[in-house]
Amino acid sequence: MSGQAQGGAEDAPHDMIPGRTPHRHTAWYRALAVVAAVLIALMIAVTCIDVVGRYLFNHPFGGAYELTQILLAALVFVALPLTSADGGHVEVDLALHLFPRPVQRGLGRLAGLVSALALGFFCWRLAGLGLTQLHEGTRSSSLALPMAPLAFIAAASCGFSALVLILRRED
Amino acid sequence: EELIMSSWLPPKHPVVVNAFKPWAAEVEKVTDGRVTVRIMGKPLGSPPAHFDMARDGVADITYGLHSFTEDNRFNRARLGQFSFLGDDAIANSKAYWKIYGGELNAAEEHKGTHLLGLFMHGPGLLHNNKRKIETPADFAGLKLRVPGGYVGDLVSALGATPLFMSSTEVYEKLSRGVIDGVAFTYESMTAFNLTDYIKYSMTVPGGIYNTTWFFVVNEAKWEKISPEDRAAIDAISGEAFAERVGKAWNDADAKAREVIGDKVDFYEASPEVLAAMKTEADKLENSWAATLGDGYDGKAALAEFRKMTGVTLE
Amino acid sequence: MTISLIAFAILLAMVFLRVPIAFAMAIVGGIGFGILRGWEPAGAMVGNAVYETGLNYSLSVVPLFIFMGNVLAGSGIAQGLFAAADRIFGRMRGGLAMATVLSCGGFSAVCGSSLATAATMSKVAMPSMRRFGYSDSLATGAIAAGGTLGILIPPSVVLILFGLLTEADIGKLFLAGIIPGVVGILGYLLAVMVAVRLKPDLAPKVGEVHPMTRRDVISVLAVTALFVFIMVGIYGGLFTPIEAAGMGAAAALVIAFATGGMTRSALWTAFLDSATASAMIFAIIIGAEIFSNFVTFAGLPDSLSEMVDGLGLSPWMVMLLIVAIYLVLGCFLESLSMILLTVPVFYPVISNLDFGMAVLNDPEAVVTWFAIIVVVVTEISLITPPIGMNVFVLRSVLPDVPLRTIFRGVYVFWVSDILRLALIIFVPGLSLWLAH
Ligand code: NA
Ligand code: NA
Repeated sequence: MSGQAQGGAEDAPHDMIPGRTPHRHTAWYRALAVVAAVLIALMIAVTCIDVVGRYLFNHPFGGAYELTQILLAALVFVALPLTSADGGHVEVDLALHLFPRPVQRGLGRLAGLVSALALGFFCWRLAGLGLTQLHEGTRSSSLALPMAPLAFIAAASCGFSALVLILRRED
Repeated sequence: EELIMSSWLPPKHPVVVNAFKPWAAEVEKVTDGRVTVRIMGKPLGSPPAHFDMARDGVADITYGLHSFTEDNRFNRARLGQFSFLGDDAIANSKAYWKIYGGELNAAEEHKGTHLLGLFMHGPGLLHNNKRKIETPADFAGLKLRVPGGYVGDLVSALGATPLFMSSTEVYEKLSRGVIDGVAFTYESMTAFNLTDYIKYSMTVPGGIYNTTWFFVVNEAKWEKISPEDRAAIDAISGEAFAERVGKAWNDADAKAREVIGDKVDFYEASPEVLAAMKTEADKLENSWAATLGDGYDGKAALAEFRKMTGVTLE
Repeated sequence: MTISLIAFAILLAMVFLRVPIAFAMAIVGGIGFGILRGWEPAGAMVGNAVYETGLNYSLSVVPLFIFMGNVLAGSGIAQGLFAAADRIFGRMRGGLAMATVLSCGGFSAVCGSSLATAATMSKVAMPSMRRFGYSDSLATGAIAAGGTLGILIPPSVVLILFGLLTEADIGKLFLAGIIPGVVGILGYLLAVMVAVRLKPDLAPKVGEVHPMTRRDVISVLAVTALFVFIMVGIYGGLFTPIEAAGMGAAAALVIAFATGGMTRSALWTAFLDSATASAMIFAIIIGAEIFSNFVTFAGLPDSLSEMVDGLGLSPWMVMLLIVAIYLVLGCFLESLSMILLTVPVFYPVISNLDFGMAVLNDPEAVVTWFAIIVVVVTEISLITPPIGMNVFVLRSVLPDVPLRTIFRGVYVFWVSDILRLALIIFVPGLSLWLAH
């Protein structure tokens, strides 16, 4: 959801929930979106298997807590470039109506660059974190899954989102 | 010099109130106010991040559990996480400081920081609401929340199902019957409101498990303090802090036992159960000792530890 | 304290120049921390905040509760709720607006977010109100205000975040929201009655009442069943409030397919919208975490507590002062960031006060009561100009309605909200009766 006052519902598909940002239709966007949908479905499945399993079969799913954590982090970072491409981060453009159109557009680009800078910094720190984890052999506590790949996914996501924001065209 | 301390335990936790805060006040006193400690009202990161936070200087002083990080870096720290180590948190913490801090070279595993303390809590118990564990077979099928690491391997070897979750989830899960029990101290039973959901608590001499804690200050920041002040702070840290924090844990355990009264059936493990536990514990101790590599004798360290705390294993 | 205030000012300036609020908080917080503490520590703190927020188990409820609401929004159930509510009020002046309020309340019981509630209900209620000649201001005002109930009536993403910030029992917070939520519905219904009484041309005299179709009945039953499933599941001990989100999402899918209102593309949209909304919310949580680490480090919570002590104000004055600050902040800040930034600062102040009321002797009760107060001021902020997120949602759905018109329609509801806020502050029992 964007705080932007403008943004068309007209060009949105017929069944789109109103008030939401229209989504992009590029190949990478669709691919990431499919991954994100699968991750949400898996999160639901993990909870259901855990809850249903412990009552029906008296057998809880030991890794549910940890898998939920990991799936959640993966989801957030897979979805971040999508939100960035949609212009879906909460922003406020109230004061902007006071400025002429080219200034508005310029400020939009500038805001995008500033955000990209923050995301680029996240990317750098997360990559460093991933390298440290690789070096120290960090694993999750019950399933002993290596944690470094997650940090690298997070780093890639922030880096990619930064690029998306730099290249994003204002409508 | 102002040292920033990030604290993730609840502000009213007995260890915060009776160990960290008095220690911080004493630092100011012994350095005549040249060094002060400011404890943040809110932690500057998640609990597992706290060692790195001190090393990287996010905060100057932090504390936490070695078992927070599941990696190879605090391998020798596991000395204090085994069974049958001691029933008195003061003796435990002093032995831990002396042995892990001494011949097991804790300083090397805490690179980038200066050690202010290494400590343990009172004996860990096995609480459950299903049955009294009379024979090793009674472990079968019990779903037990464990803090990870050694005690997870132990209960799993004994036939129970270990489950992992944050300590704050324990209440939700225990009260809903998702788990049958939990490996916790006396103090945690009241701290997490578990008394109504626990029926039986099994004790073994020296505790079923323990957790080990670090208390560190950023090394670069430490070097900035004058040698006299460093010496003064060291004098109230280390072994002196082990005494202080051990007493805080002991008092908290005693208070919890008083509050619980006879609402829970506390019982000593039967000789049979104890024997089974010792067999599995011994295997786990051996495999840990084998990972320490040259120059470190894990079995000797454990033996020395038990000698210091007065636990005898025949 | 000065440096914190300067940082807040820079933050607001950046936000007004269109920097997304998540990144504005991260940048100001990170740089502020760097200035006070050094750049390497600041970098480490920022890296940790990004990584650990993603791995926070309790936050798994955010995508799952959002998904639950989105599935139901795409399944046509909201239409049924609206039609049923219309049966109750259809014969009264302003009946459709009242039906909007009631069905917003109903949808709130299965949707954790106010924006999603407003967006969903606008699609359902707006066309009918337009067809019957309701003024745009009353119509949009009722939807924008009714939508705010989404975060008060459980499930609620905001109450969960509050619980995480204060370590309060989320199950209790959910229970605490129910009565104030019902009071909110009644207040809004009254607001519509008063508005059409004062200005009869806002709404036509009568609408026409359609008979309820089978689908409408099924929708009402389905929403009731899902709400009961979640509540009984949590309080009957079947699953934890965190697990309730996953179970609720699964149940919503079952309902959506069983009632036949779900198309494949609506399902796809529900997935995609939940993913992107989650990333948006997590970006804000990360930014707020970074900013609030800086503010904590700068000593704002401590100096605030000291200042309150120094002023010698009575506890009730402190509470009213904090509420006043919230109302002012609510004009300018987006709701999630407002909660994430302020609760860590104000909660320590509140938890140390003695309000001299028997019901508030238990510290846990004070947290619950404060949670509901914070949620109600947040609801108010959602419809307060210049930045009222629910109003923006309506504006983006109805590009032809000027922002001004929506805000004009909202003011009667705003008055009702302020009265409700006073009631909730001075009668803590409203929040505490079910929970404690
Ligand atoms: Na809700
Ligand atoms: Na506002």
